[in-house]
Amino acid sequence: MATTVETTFRERLTRQPGPATKWLGVLLVLVALQFGAVMQTIMSTVPWGTIGGALPATAPWAALAGVGDALADLPTLLARDVIPNQGYQVPGEGWQGTFMGLSPAAAWGIRVSLVYLYSFGFVGWLGYGYLVFRRHYRAADWTPYDDMLGRLDGHRWGQFGLVVVLMFIVMALFAPTLGPTTVQSNIAEPFSHELQYFDENAGEVTTILVGEANLQSVSKGGGGRNVGPMQYDRYDRFHPFGTLPSGKDLFTFMVAGARVSLFIGLLYISLAAGLAVVLALVTAYYKGLADLTVVIAGDSVQALPQLLVLILLSFVLSDTWIAGIYNGGLLLALIFAITGWPYLWRAVRGPALQVSNEEWIDAAKSFGQRPVTTMRKHMLPYVVGYLLIYASLSLGGAIIGVAGLSFLGLGVNPPTPEWGRAVSAGQPYVATASWHISLIPGIMVVIIVTAFNALGDGIRDAVDPQSEAGSNEVAAGGGGA
Amino acid sequence: MFGDDVDEGDVLVSLCDLKTYYGEDSLLSDDPVKAVDGVSFDIHKGETLGLVGESGCGKTTLGRTLIQLEDATAGEVRIGDTDVTTLTGDDLQRWRRNSQMVFQDPESSLNDRMTVGAIIREPLDVHDWKTPRERRARVRELLDTVGLSEEHYYRYPHQFSGGQRQRVGIARALALEPEFVVLDEPVSALDVSVQAQILNLLNRLQDEFGLTYLFIAHDLSVVRHICDRVAVMYLGNVMELGPTERLFQQPQNPYTHALLSAIPEPDPTADSDRITLTGSPPSPRDPPAGCPFATRCPMKIRPPEYDSVDTEVWARVEMLREVLRERSNADRSLTERAREILGLSSRFSSADEVHDELFADVTLPAAVEDHIEEAMDHVRNDNETRARAQLREAFGSVCDEERPKSHVVDDESGTSRCHRHRDEHDEPSRSQVVSE
Ligand code: SF4
Repeated sequence: MATTVETTFRERLTRQPGPATKWLGVLLVLVALQFGAVMQTIMSTVPWGTIGGALPATAPWAALAGVGDALADLPTLLARDVIPNQGYQVPGEGWQGTFMGLSPAAAWGIRVSLVYLYSFGFVGWLGYGYLVFRRHYRAADWTPYDDMLGRLDGHRWGQFGLVVVLMFIVMALFAPTLGPTTVQSNIAEPFSHELQYFDENAGEVTTILVGEANLQSVSKGGGGRNVGPMQYDRYDRFHPFGTLPSGKDLFTFMVAGARVSLFIGLLYISLAAGLAVVLALVTAYYKGLADLTVVIAGDSVQALPQLLVLILLSFVLSDTWIAGIYNGGLLLALIFAITGWPYLWRAVRGPALQVSNEEWIDAAKSFGQRPVTTMRKHMLPYVVGYLLIYASLSLGGAIIGVAGLSFLGLGVNPPTPEWGRAVSAGQPYVATASWHISLIPGIMVVIIVTAFNALGDGIRDAVDPQSEAGSNEVAAGGGGA
Repeated sequence: MFGDDVDEGDVLVSLCDLKTYYGEDSLLSDDPVKAVDGVSFDIHKGETLGLVGESGCGKTTLGRTLIQLEDATAGEVRIGDTDVTTLTGDDLQRWRRNSQMVFQDPESSLNDRMTVGAIIREPLDVHDWKTPRERRARVRELLDTVGLSEEHYYRYPHQFSGGQRQRVGIARALALEPEFVVLDEPVSALDVSVQAQILNLLNRLQDEFGLTYLFIAHDLSVVRHICDRVAVMYLGNVMELGPTERLFQQPQNPYTHALLSAIPEPDPTADSDRITLTGSPPSPRDPPAGCPFATRCPMKIRPPEYDSVDTEVWARVEMLREVLRERSNADRSLTERAREILGLSSRFSSADEVHDELFADVTLPAAVEDHIEEAMDHVRNDNETRARAQLREAFGSVCDEERPKSHVVDDESGTSRCHRHRDEHDEPSRSQVVSE
């Protein structure tokens, strides 16, 4: 199949290059805006030194590397230092150090909007590329997948889920750019960083350690000890979500926490879904003893109370080396995967068994196709849709699970930001002026989990239009928290 | 390679006492399902051999065993000097090129997430046939051969009708230029109007490529139309095999008689003494010890001492045995099964009523009556096994005890499996049937 598409695809491309060129043009614009960041990635990830050393003529190579480094230093649209939002206000002179003298709130707002515009522009470009391919270059004028996408077209609920999930992913990817300050300077090492502000008593610009400033910006219930959402603290720092009881910036904490949640969630889902789909395909193809073994294994794992096992394992393993990797994130993802795969496996076992009884499997056997190829070509495409549905649902569950564990003080080690810990930190102040500490992370967990469920519903209706309802049972198979 | 050098009309595939049992290695130690239970026949190069029988008789399993989709339990499938059932690895892979299958359900036999071109190309890809470019050209040629067009290459099965999909299935089976093709009810899922087109296509392809077909079917009129020879299967056994016209006009085996008489007669004035088979075939887990057809055979041989008994009476006796057998066979209530067998709508509440229903209007000879009464006593004591054994001892014949051998029944070496072909018995004929 691949070769067929390849050659004829090239022919179709040369015959009608217009739409593809336009599409690539858009890509150039998108890359140009972020060229510095792209170069930086290239310069920092490829071991140029090693490659350069292996080449005989070093002089031109060094020059080339110099150019590369220079390019990497080019300003990019979405970098923090292009649109800075940290500054101070001098009476009569307005804002100092911020983007074009705007208020920190406005500068921060512009940066966040640009990040989201750029990201959605990129997603739109991908979609546009697919449509261009479909209209101008695809050999088949119709495929079964067109119908699935078509069904998603009118599915508002699923689209809502998709948009929110995309926003969440962008939040995680661009976390360092989105926060009004950085994790490093505000949360991790506040006493190693300093900031400038206009001291009214002294009547001059003064320097202070961030840590000291944080202590004066705490949110502890009011009476002058609260910095709420969309407020400035006394050091002219803007806090979109207010501050934590420790005086640290909640928004910065949240975007960094999104990264942690997404990393754990995705790692867990890839491991669990990979295991589930391989087992489902193998057991459905060979049936008999293989199936029985996995049924017993899956049932045994499922018989364990998942939350209890999670708590127990993360407690028992909390002092081992594995708990140190990614601040305990890896360990969490592994525990989730080990306890969670049977849910996904159960979800795809039915579809896998059903497709294994189709005559085209026999046909493949009859001309001697290798079982692995048969599973990949003839079974996997029918299973993968169901896998996506349940993966989306369990991802929401995993995010709740991780938040729940950190709420209990387990899981991700402090001070690594994790939403659950913000909820827990704000718990004493729920009924006070500092309500935002618990409420905002709590609401965000709910929105994101709902979005993953909505996305799962959308995929299900696209993949399997006959199935109505039944989603309750599906949602219950989530993360278990 | 495998049978390449066989001349038209010579033996291409030879089955020798082939057996395929299911569930032998199952964890629950039930009796295995004897789907194919000792089948021997030859398939000649270039012919179309029909394989007919009721559903569940094992004909599809036999076809699947022939192309090694099922493992044979015992026996041989010989092609030239090779026993295919013992092939493994590369040898098996090479043999697979040579024998293909066209499946029954064109909805299920084509993966509808693949383009038709990719589906037909798959066997070529698996066997690394020439270069990818040549494979694509070959697929286009095959599309043309089976009456589709090149533009269909990038269409999906959803975009085709049942008949067109079956053409795709045929193209896939022909991709590797096989010698031998198993056609598993290839037209039974299609509209009647389309059936003829597909049958004609199959005929044309056979002439063009010198193919040998095993045509599995339950539609006898289709078989008569397309097959050179026909094998009739019952309960895992081939009961009769012979040239199509001879078999249809002068069936030799009692089962063939029964099967053929089930075809609606186009001419109502013709001699249409239909044989109605009572009951259902025995379970293939527990086939009869003697002739597979013994439990339902309308021409079953009687023990010599009862030769003089009235046919009507004898039929009732056999029916009683059938009722008891069915009752032990399934857990369904006697009432239910008995009503079914007798085709009666009256309600029985006990074995006695069965007895009355069967024997009320006939006079039993004393010798017969004694045995029946003894058996009924066992039934009343809830010991049906004893009752069956007792009846079998009293009324059983060679049909119940000995598996019939194959007898040559025509001058084209057609065979039939029935004790009536032995010299000491009358040949099977309709006159032995009790008409109801
Ligand atoms: S052997 Fe007996 S039971 Fe079997 S077909 Fe012949 S007559 Fe009927």
